[in-house]
Amino acid sequence: MRALLFFALALLPASAVLADTPAMVNQGIGSKGYVWNRLTPERAEAVRKKGDVALGQEAYRGCRGCHKQDAFGRVDGIYPRLTGQYASVIIKQLTDIRAGLRLNPKMEPFISFDAITVDEIADIAAFLSQATTIKENGKGPGDQLALGESVYVQKGCVKCHGSRGEGNGEKLYPALAAQHYSYLLREMELIKTMARGNSHPDMVTSLREVSPNDMEAMADFLSRLPDRRQSVAKAPGK
Amino acid sequence: MIETGKVSAQILRPRRAGSGNNATLILALAFLASALLPLAVRAEDPPNPVCTACHNEDGNSVVPDYPKIAGLDVAYFTKQIADFKKFKRVSEIMGPIATQIADSEIELLAAYYSKQKRISGVVTDQNLAAKGLMIYAEGIVDNAVPACGGCHGEKGEGANNFPRLAGQHASYTNTQLLNFKNQVRNNDARKVMRAIAMRMTEQDMQAVSEYITSLKGE
Ligand code: HEC
Ligand code: HEC
Ligand code: HEC
Ligand code: HEC
Repeated sequence: MRALLFFALALLPASAVLADTPAMVNQGIGSKGYVWNRLTPERAEAVRKKGDVALGQEAYRGCRGCHKQDAFGRVDGIYPRLTGQYASVIIKQLTDIRAGLRLNPKMEPFISFDAITVDEIADIAAFLSQATTIKENGKGPGDQLALGESVYVQKGCVKCHGSRGEGNGEKLYPALAAQHYSYLLREMELIKTMARGNSHPDMVTSLREVSPNDMEAMADFLSRLPDRRQSVAKAPGK
Repeated sequence: MIETGKVSAQILRPRRAGSGNNATLILALAFLASALLPLAVRAEDPPNPVCTACHNEDGNSVVPDYPKIAGLDVAYFTKQIADFKKFKRVSEIMGPIATQIADSEIELLAAYYSKQKRISGVVTDQNLAAKGLMIYAEGIVDNAVPACGGCHGEKGEGANNFPRLAGQHASYTNTQLLNFKNQVRNNDARKVMRAIAMRMTEQDMQAVSEYITSLKGE
């Protein structure tokens, strides 16, 4: 039953846009034997490679049409910012998508095996971790920031994502600080309903107890934290 | 040879987009061109009169159905000729011509045309072009169409295998987009153009093509 529901949800984002893109087989959370941080062969390979910044900049050309030249995405959150994210997380997300572990039909043709090589994934991750742009990101209404912070702490999000939303690159916990508000909110919803594909199971459990309003408050709070490279606070495992 | 080039150019010039029914003439010309080619291709400027007949001396064709090839990057130019030769990019006109170009000459032709300056076209429908600008610069977010400028350059200048689009005849751009969508053209590197065109409506294609013709590439 759960698998069925998941399947239906998984198809939702796909059907809206991309009738022509063959749906990837989903092996994400909810499917049997899912391990959130399983080292897929491709990720192992990408991590082993020493990414080349210059080649990464070239390969990143194919991403600019959505994530923009400065990798800052769109403030309306339709496309997330990629600067400020850990290289390890970028690699995990891209290789997870290619392994059918995370769903992203909008982006799929541009990061498919036809479109980019595993070397280019390593190169792009190296390039992105050099990209320095920090500018005004998309934020929420700003009226429930204290609530947002307290829910974030109470629900144990801090354990992984850190008190300043700085995440932890070594442990593959994404940085959330200063990401676009609407993207954060959308991801929380996708994670809660297990429609994103990949996820830490504990995070799903916590998010299930969070009301829609509290989720908005958290997303707003996180969107207003400074970029992790600006918050001098001890960021574990940069 | 040069005479032939001039004559064919004269025959071709009056032709306008949509005048249809010239298929026989074009095929005859293409045949003639491919028969003449082995003799005609030479290193010195101006380039091969056979190419000139359709693409003009400076690569800025005046006939809407023949693409402007001025300013195309060497990498892209070379790939297209190779693809035409192998019929990986299928064109009744360019295919037979390309098979006659010796490999050693491709480089010279590519170098010559890459140095020519692209001349932009004239927008006939401003409203359509304004819609096209949005698509070109921002993409179509509802259908996950990336901004064209991301790959082809903000001004349509292109780079390497991402072709220069600036100033191209609107009807040619539009036809190529339709061809990508219908998989008639399926030689695109990394399959990205097919994916993009499949997400576009015919109106989107017309609009962006109209805008692209106005771009100067600088
Ligand atoms: C058609 C638009 C499009 C293109 C082109 C595109 N992306 Fe994306 N990308 C998206 C969307 C949409 C998302 C967010 C998906 C979601 O909501 O889960 C995303 C998410 C991502 C993420 C995950 C970010 C995170 O915080 O988890 C990474 C990494 C990424 N893209 C990298 C790339 C790279 C590298 C390229 C080029 C090779 C690329 N993208 C090209 C649309 C695109
Ligand atoms: C046990 C560790 C852990 C906890 C606790 C946790 N997360 Fe996460 N979070 C992750 C991991 C890991 C990912 C990336 C998913 C993956 O790679 O499988 C993630 C991803 C996210 C993302 C998407 C980020 C992006 O760039 O796409 C958001 C938003 C998020 N978490 C919010 C939360 C919130 C809110 C809470 C508290 C309710 C929470 N997380 C609790 C580990 C955790
Ligand atoms: C009879 C007219 C004709 C002649 C002669 C001709 N071409 Fe073409 N050429 C075309 C047409 C039509 C196309 C577009 C084909 C298609 O629809 O895919 C084209 C396409 C091309 C392209 C691809 C342009 C792009 O933007 O992708 C190149 C490069 C090219 N021609 C080079 C040449 C060269 C070099 C010669 C001389 C050896 C030549 N052509 C002779 C008609 C001609
Ligand atoms: C992800 C990168 C990317 C994006 C974004 C992109 N293109 Fe392309 N485009 C390419 C590549 C690569 C080619 C060359 C295909 C080949 O190898 O023949 C191409 C070729 C083309 C051609 C054929 C040019 C010629 O001279 O024959 C047209 C027309 C075109 N693109 C239009 C567009 C339009 C319009 C958009 C925006 C809606 C767009 N492209 C967005 C990568 C891209």
